[in-house]
Amino acid sequence: MFKHFIFIIIALSFFFTQLAGAQIASTGFEEENNIYEKVYDAKLNLNNGDNRTLTQLCASKPVILALIFTRCSGICNPFLVQLKENLQFKTDTDNFSVLVLSFDPRDTREDMVNLSKSLNLENNKQWLFATTGDIEKLNLSVGFNPVWDSIRSQYDHDALLVGINKEGYITKKLIGIRNKSDLELLIRSVNDVFSPSYRLPNKNRLFSCFNYNPETGKNTPGLGLLFLTLPAVITLLLLLGISYTVRHKRILI
Amino acid sequence: METIKLRKITSLWIITVLFLFIVNIVLGIIMRLNQGEILHEQPATFYAHMTTHGLTQIGIWFVAGMTGINYLMERYLKTSYLANVVAMVLTVTGILMLWTSTYIGNFHAGWTFLYPLPLKIMWAKWATPLFLGSILVMGVGWLTWSVSMMTQILKKYPLTKALAWQHFRKNPTIQTPPFILISMITLIGIITCLLGAVLLLAMYAAEYFSNGAFVNDALLMKNLTYFFGHTIANEMLYLGLAVIYELFPEVGGRPKWKATWYVALAWNCTLVFILTAFFHHLYMDFVQPVGFQIVGQIASYMASLPAAGVTVFSVLVAVYRTSIKWSLTNLLFFIGVAGWVIGGLGAVIDVTITNNFVLHNTLWVPAHFHTYNALGNVLFSLAFFHWFSIQFSEKTDFEKLTKLKLTLLLIGGIGFLLAFYIGGAESMPRRYSNYPAEFPMAAPLAIGAAVFATIYLAAILIFFFQISKRCLNILFSSSSH
Amino acid sequence: MQNSILILFLVLAGMSALVFTFVYLSSKKAGKDEQGIPNPLKTRFWFLLILFVILGIFASVTIPRSPYFLFADETPVRVIHVSAMQFAFLMSDKAIDPKNPVGEASIELPANKLVEFRVTSLDVNHGFAIYDQSNRLIAQTQAMPGYVNRLRWKFKEPGNYTILCLEYCGMAHQVMRASLTIK
Repeated sequence: MFKHFIFIIIALSFFFTQLAGAQIASTGFEEENNIYEKVYDAKLNLNNGDNRTLTQLCASKPVILALIFTRCSGICNPFLVQLKENLQFKTDTDNFSVLVLSFDPRDTREDMVNLSKSLNLENNKQWLFATTGDIEKLNLSVGFNPVWDSIRSQYDHDALLVGINKEGYITKKLIGIRNKSDLELLIRSVNDVFSPSYRLPNKNRLFSCFNYNPETGKNTPGLGLLFLTLPAVITLLLLLGISYTVRHKRILI
Repeated sequence: METIKLRKITSLWIITVLFLFIVNIVLGIIMRLNQGEILHEQPATFYAHMTTHGLTQIGIWFVAGMTGINYLMERYLKTSYLANVVAMVLTVTGILMLWTSTYIGNFHAGWTFLYPLPLKIMWAKWATPLFLGSILVMGVGWLTWSVSMMTQILKKYPLTKALAWQHFRKNPTIQTPPFILISMITLIGIITCLLGAVLLLAMYAAEYFSNGAFVNDALLMKNLTYFFGHTIANEMLYLGLAVIYELFPEVGGRPKWKATWYVALAWNCTLVFILTAFFHHLYMDFVQPVGFQIVGQIASYMASLPAAGVTVFSVLVAVYRTSIKWSLTNLLFFIGVAGWVIGGLGAVIDVTITNNFVLHNTLWVPAHFHTYNALGNVLFSLAFFHWFSIQFSEKTDFEKLTKLKLTLLLIGGIGFLLAFYIGGAESMPRRYSNYPAEFPMAAPLAIGAAVFATIYLAAILIFFFQISKRCLNILFSSSSH
Repeated sequence: MQNSILILFLVLAGMSALVFTFVYLSSKKAGKDEQGIPNPLKTRFWFLLILFVILGIFASVTIPRSPYFLFADETPVRVIHVSAMQFAFLMSDKAIDPKNPVGEASIELPANKLVEFRVTSLDVNHGFAIYDQSNRLIAQTQAMPGYVNRLRWKFKEPGNYTILCLEYCGMAHQVMRASLTIK
């Protein structure tokens, strides 16, 4: 029995060292800034001709704000495509809208219309495209710092999603192209669903106990939980194994 | 049925346990005196005491319980002497490794060694692997002992009979002795949590030897730590209960207790609840899913039901208006059960999440677990030690100083525990080498606790001298009685 | 709250001690032919049922008031980021960069308004326990590396509150502290 057990341990140790390369050191702490602060009430020029402010827009439905510029040769396009794909199969589209807002003063309504067309989203009511004259103040309020790179004629910037609830408060931010489950956490946060904790981004998740699935609001067992049940499973096998091997030697009672 | 060899090793266990217990009480008193500002030690030394005290205490009372059931098991079946010796050698080696790591290496991460604290070296570099190694060595010894004993039980009783499942049907033809049932259930729990410890140590080893390339998940490690730590602390109490089921009626001159369907059900349920109750150690980790927190509270509540409803009730019913022969053994069992109940009440209060919010890691925690150890489990084992030591003695003055010993135990124990409870209610943190000015009551309480603990120690010293004397006789006698 | 907990405990412990003493004395006085409780099985059933009901009521009353559900449907007016490290608490209105951790010298919070603490750790496990002016523990959460715990609280009275570490974190654990001012 012991031999098997030791073998399992050795095998597991080997498994760990193989996985060891997959560590990412970035901490993503910037996402933590500006939470529960009011977003700047920027005047928007929406594609549909509407001229509401951001707060007015949020009041009707919580907003997920994506900051981009149309001349971007870098992250903006894949970022929006990914966002669209992640949201495509969501059935309950009523509880938030997506606002794609340009942070480049050169962008016009026409540029935004073209962008919406290129993404095939011009008729999608959930998606709104807009420009604003108050972009600097808005950037400041959400902690967004695009830096102009004159050599490449491009902005150097993060792919940022900002969740804003109905009262106009920033509830959560996501930096970088993120997976569906982080996006779901963002959607839940704009709808004021409280989760008492969350994991910091980009940390080792391999052996975490639970993977939060915000779609269902439940935690699904992770590899770590499997580890937690492993002792009980081994004991059960040991029990059955011993019971089976000694059955012939049993003295009748 | 038992052999002289078993008798001798049991004696050796008893002397070892009692000796280490005395040293451990002294460590406890030193810590309380330091908190009382009578002694002035370096904080690191205080925490080294704390680490040593915790793990040694867990170790000795676990092996004390195992010694008891191993000895009594021989009434039903043949146990392995070799496994007993292996456990003895590895336990002593483990304890020596532990003491070396804490007192020479100055390791002081606490006996619960919460990840990643042991890896943040604030002591000799070799002390961390030595400390973790000491747990491994003891763990392997205990695992060998438990697996061997479980195998021997299964050789005689088929699995379903060992778990007394036939009692769920009407008129079972075969009786499973309650002693076998409880031992079996407890051994399964022990093996599970020891395997958890091995897994935990493997994870530590992976990180330690990967030079920072592999990093563990703190939540998983905390879960594993308490899966091991909580469960082993809980199961060692049940070892004591198995001894009660066997000896309490016998010593009182009453018929043996029989397993019935509710006894079988209660103990089978206990196994499940014990293995999930540890979640209550993570209540204040909001990262643990809420569902698990609620399971923790309910499982912890439920764990008390079979225990209280069956064991405590059986003991009370066995005594109530029944003329039984009272002796030191019986009295220790009886008072031990009362101490266990009272500690359990403190525990049930603390496992309620809303209470835990203001009690977690205050002195309330050591208060309740010291109750069912110092006035519960220790008394169960002392009862067995006393009973065992008088089996082979020519003399008959076994009840000498009974009143004095019990009075000292109770006065010392209650006073010492009250200081913890009051400290907990006053929000004093546990595991503080010195208390800040916010807690002016802390130092006087600690001094009071040290005084009462000394009274308790006096009782234990009397026990030690009386029992050890008889055990030494058994150890060095050339022939059987 | 702690005082009522202590009283509850002492009452229950006293009652248990009395029961055990009473049972012991009844055995001492018992004649040779007395046979204890006539129908222990039935008594046991009632005993268990009552215990079960009491614990059930206790659980159903207390579980919904667990800290995980505190103020869940309100929006906090302030978020304080807390990074615990050996042996200090860094607190800031802004997120704290683990590579260059800096906290604010003092934190002032409004009374009777919802505040959220986002608690994490930069090294080992720590505790984040808030003590009121009479040094009574009023709320706590743990600080675990890699995770953020969100503790929401409304401070009722203005004044100075102390934060202590309640998870053993090494040799200076007992001096790890911070404070808050409530206005």
